[in-house]
Amino acid sequence: MANIAVARIKREFKEVVKSEEAAKCAIKVELVDNNFTELRGEIAGPPDTPYESGTFILEIKIPETYPFNPPKVRFQTKIWHPNISSVTGAICLDILRDQWAAAMTLRTVLLSLQALLAAAEPDDPQDAVVARQFKENYEIYVKTAKHWSYKYAGAPNRTPELDSKLKQLADMGVDEHRARVALSSCDWDLARATETIFS
Amino acid sequence: MASYFDEHDCEPLGPGEQPNHFLHLARLLLDSGVAALEGQMFGEKKAPPASKEAVEQLPTYSLSGTDLGKPCPVCLLEFAPDDMLKAMPCKHRFHASCILPWLQQTNSCPVCRHELPTDDTDYEEFKRQKGRAKDREARIEQLHDSMFG
Repeated sequence: MANIAVARIKREFKEVVKSEEAAKCAIKVELVDNNFTELRGEIAGPPDTPYESGTFILEIKIPETYPFNPPKVRFQTKIWHPNISSVTGAICLDILRDQWAAAMTLRTVLLSLQALLAAAEPDDPQDAVVARQFKENYEIYVKTAKHWSYKYAGAPNRTPELDSKLKQLADMGVDEHRARVALSSCDWDLARATETIFS
Repeated sequence: MASYFDEHDCEPLGPGEQPNHFLHLARLLLDSGVAALEGQMFGEKKAPPASKEAVEQLPTYSLSGTDLGKPCPVCLLEFAPDDMLKAMPCKHRFHASCILPWLQQTNSCPVCRHELPTDDTDYEEFKRQKGRAKDREARIEQLHDSMFG
């Protein structure tokens, strides 16, 4: 990898480790390989959101042309959010695309992602199903996002009434994640979810 | 009273010159409800490189006392005594070798997004159009306030 990219990542690494946010356990980065091309990021779900107290893991790939081009970032932890694909973890955020600027760093990217969790942009969606639910049925969106945070990001809030619906599908032999996706996408309407699975 | 052309920031047509119908159609679309599509039409596109002329005119500095020990915002390495620096009009300073490749790609300051002019006529037109839309909104707002405020 180009020298400037490696030198920068090394410095940024220190910046994140020494940062106030790292001290509060809000953000974290780790090396995945020794050539600084792949990193693992971690952000804490922001307070007063359905993601609160969850830990979300990010896959960060540093391109050869860094910092002239943005890092490629994807959620590895499954998440229910209008601007993040519930299938692939792909993120819709302007600074990771056309609004990148060379003075941005891993720290500012991680903080921006944390801000995105606190303030979704349903009019610029990555996941159309989640965005629709966010706009048309906000309460169900909050419940679903909490449920996913509990299940995949280790957040403490259980959602018992949703669990019982999941169990009914599981009893029919449906894979748990598949059942969760179907129910989440059908606003937890058991009949409709069953229909999408078995049709 | 300002002339029509001053007020609309445009020139009268020269003798024999035809109006640019494509431009008018695009304006009509933007001014009507289709403006919501604006972001999809233009927003996704990365801003073009800074114009060569503007880049050549950026002042070059050798290191002065105040910059010593500050990091270059692009490579994050501290400025050293022999480094050649360039300053943007917004006063943000960079290593020449760091800012020049960036400006060949995008026209704005990596720190504050202050924009340099570009050689891209479509982009410049889009920027003017956006400025006009903003002015128009401000004028309507002002008018509204003077009547009901």
